[in-house]
Amino acid sequence: MEQTLRETIRNNPKKILGVNPNDAKVSLSYLTVAFVSLLIGGILGMLQGLERAGLIQLPSWLNYYQVLTAHGLLLLVVFTATFTIGYQYANLSHSFGGLLSKVRKLAWIGFALMLIGVVMVTVMIVLNEASVLYTFYPPLAAHPIFYIGLVFVVLGIWACCFGVFINYRYWRKNHPGQTTPILAFFAMGVFILWFFASIGVTIEVFTLIPWSMGLVETTNVMVGRTLFWWFGHTLVNIWYLVATSAWYVIVPKIIGGRHFSEKLIRLVIILLVILNIPGGFHHQIVDPGISQSVKFLHVFMSLSIAVPSLMTAFAMFFVLERTGRKLGGKGLLGWLKKLPWGDVRFLAPMIAMISFIPGGAGGIVNTSNQLNQVIHNTMWVVGHFHITVGVSVVLTFFGICYWLIPYLSKRQLTPKMNKIGVIQTYVWTVGMALMAGSMHIVGLLGDPRRTSDTTYGGHEIAVSWIPYEMVFAIGATLLLIGVIIQVYAVFNMMFFAPKGHTEFPVAEPEDDATPAPLWTERWGLWIVLLIAVISMAYVVPIVDMILNAPPGSPPIRTW
Amino acid sequence: MKQAMYGLILFIFLILPPVATFLESIMIIHMHMQMPLLVFSGFLIARFFQIRFPQFFKNWNDNGIPGMLLFLIIWLYWMIPKAMDDALTLQFVEIFKFFSLTFLAGVPLRDSWGKLGSKAKSIVYVFFTLKFIIMGYLYIGIESQICNNYLIIEQRTLGWGSLAFAACFILYGFYWVFTDQSEFKTT
Ligand code: HEM
Ligand SMILES: [Cu+2]
Repeated sequence: MEQTLRETIRNNPKKILGVNPNDAKVSLSYLTVAFVSLLIGGILGMLQGLERAGLIQLPSWLNYYQVLTAHGLLLLVVFTATFTIGYQYANLSHSFGGLLSKVRKLAWIGFALMLIGVVMVTVMIVLNEASVLYTFYPPLAAHPIFYIGLVFVVLGIWACCFGVFINYRYWRKNHPGQTTPILAFFAMGVFILWFFASIGVTIEVFTLIPWSMGLVETTNVMVGRTLFWWFGHTLVNIWYLVATSAWYVIVPKIIGGRHFSEKLIRLVIILLVILNIPGGFHHQIVDPGISQSVKFLHVFMSLSIAVPSLMTAFAMFFVLERTGRKLGGKGLLGWLKKLPWGDVRFLAPMIAMISFIPGGAGGIVNTSNQLNQVIHNTMWVVGHFHITVGVSVVLTFFGICYWLIPYLSKRQLTPKMNKIGVIQTYVWTVGMALMAGSMHIVGLLGDPRRTSDTTYGGHEIAVSWIPYEMVFAIGATLLLIGVIIQVYAVFNMMFFAPKGHTEFPVAEPEDDATPAPLWTERWGLWIVLLIAVISMAYVVPIVDMILNAPPGSPPIRTW
Repeated sequence: MKQAMYGLILFIFLILPPVATFLESIMIIHMHMQMPLLVFSGFLIARFFQIRFPQFFKNWNDNGIPGMLLFLIIWLYWMIPKAMDDALTLQFVEIFKFFSLTFLAGVPLRDSWGKLGSKAKSIVYVFFTLKFIIMGYLYIGIESQICNNYLIIEQRTLGWGSLAFAACFILYGFYWVFTDQSEFKTT
């Protein structure tokens, strides 16, 4: 017995490592906040869908733009950030065999700071003092407390970033000559992006606080927007990196296969970290004051993200096909049938990956100058990000819940819960397909986003949008049902499912795989390259915006 | 050899007239992106020459110093505003730019860097850091237009970009000095 244990430690340490119980509490707390936010955000989403369709009229004490601000912030920032932290910290704890106690403390500090921040932000939205939409850039001005709340959220995220960096350094120091476990490598990529993404928005918010207090009269709107999208665009790639960590490493294990070459996976992570921040300008293709050539450069930068994305797509289908064939799949597509479609831990991320195909294609449309003119600020955009974040990312997150939460709470995923998960996945897929699909089409017909009432006095074009808006409402209702099922499943697995053991599914490399090269661990170099790329991309427009600044804008309150 | 192939592809891409015109339309991109990329393509292509003509490099660049000096001279020449202007107006200067940065700067850089001792490497590194700082200071401070082809605002932008590069160099220097390089050796 003694002997075999020692042998397992030596030959297969992953078998005995596990998330430390104290670390599990950290992750579960973050996940709790995530799914409470999802529930509230989902209810608000349905209200919006119904109001857009003209089926309800929100009361004056809770207007459409208040709801839209809360929906955007709760889902886009709070849900995704807290889920990411909960999941990535569990990965880290699992890979390293437990977090350092000071790192755990940092995670708790981060939790408290974020909670304070979210409460401040939410209270201001509820008081109707901050209907500035989730993008919160000027000239719309919220109450100063709203921005101060955002600062707290950022500080909380930084605490979590530093926790990851410290733990990584500690591990590296004690394991010279070894490469970090792949999930921990992903965590480094994710939190480095978080850190650099939030620098832009922090600068923005710090200029907005005195402005909203009336201490300074005006602010530079273009710079504010640019700094916001520096953050907003990077946030998108943070989700994407988090989702791909599950696609590359978790999914292969669930289907009984091995993961793809670790060198390629690491290359994808490094490319995403270095290349991504400058893509932010594709959200500003229609903005004035940025020269054509600079815009072109940024289109090029954002399309360069397609390279790691396509690498991911090919690698994933390779793994799926190889595993399906090993399981006995024959013929051109026979391997597809061998995959475990009835297992929610596979089904949800699989649909997520498939939806990345239309999502990515839509993204290429958005980032192309001429096509952007057609779809800018229409419902197309809303359809686009409900496919990408609402399906590709969120369904991956949902799929992760079905093993992560029972694992953390030392319970089991029962066959019944698996079935509920499968049903949830289908409800969500159908709901989003209806809602996002009709949003895409009606966007092409000109229906504007962020507008509560689009009847325009019964103009015939506006009338032609109504049938599509009815489809939003149907989709939105299905989605709310999906949210409720998911939240039920999450809390059931957290507190009520039968006690037992659940596997943390981490795929192994192929037996004949070459080990990952150590140079990939040179994070200092990747960070310097990241900064160099950011400065190349941002110096030109920002210097121009500041030196050739138009008169600044005073705070504006449209509600 | 594969590397040399990639280098050649990059070189051809960079000298395609529309690509070149586009990159040269913004001053900072001209200096801080097109030129380093040309050097980088030469850096990759160098493999080919090293394998084909090992004797040549051995005879002329045994300790790496001549190659490094050649690289520095070529690079500094292209930092002169007048040189950039000429490249935009005179075709043969433009061709010389493509040729010199790739084959007279990129190739010797590759061959020399590995041969230099750590002291010489540090000197080159510090030199470049200082160069970026001084250029940044000058380009931001100068009141008059120093390139016929670029506006003053582009000059300022270039100055800020140079400072940003200096910051990157300093940061990387610290990283290099303060991390234990043995961590990256396989045991
Ligand atoms: C119950 C599911 C959901 C429903 C029914 C829903 C519905 C809607 C609707 C109708 C809009 C309004 C568009 C407009 O007027 O411009 C909207 C906006 C938005 N939704 Fe959702 N959504 C859902 C889930 C999500 C999820 C999961 C996310 C992200 C994680 C998300 C992020 C957003 C964002 C960022 C906006 C844009 C807000 C803005 O333009 O300021 N939604 N959603
Ligand atoms: Cu983006």
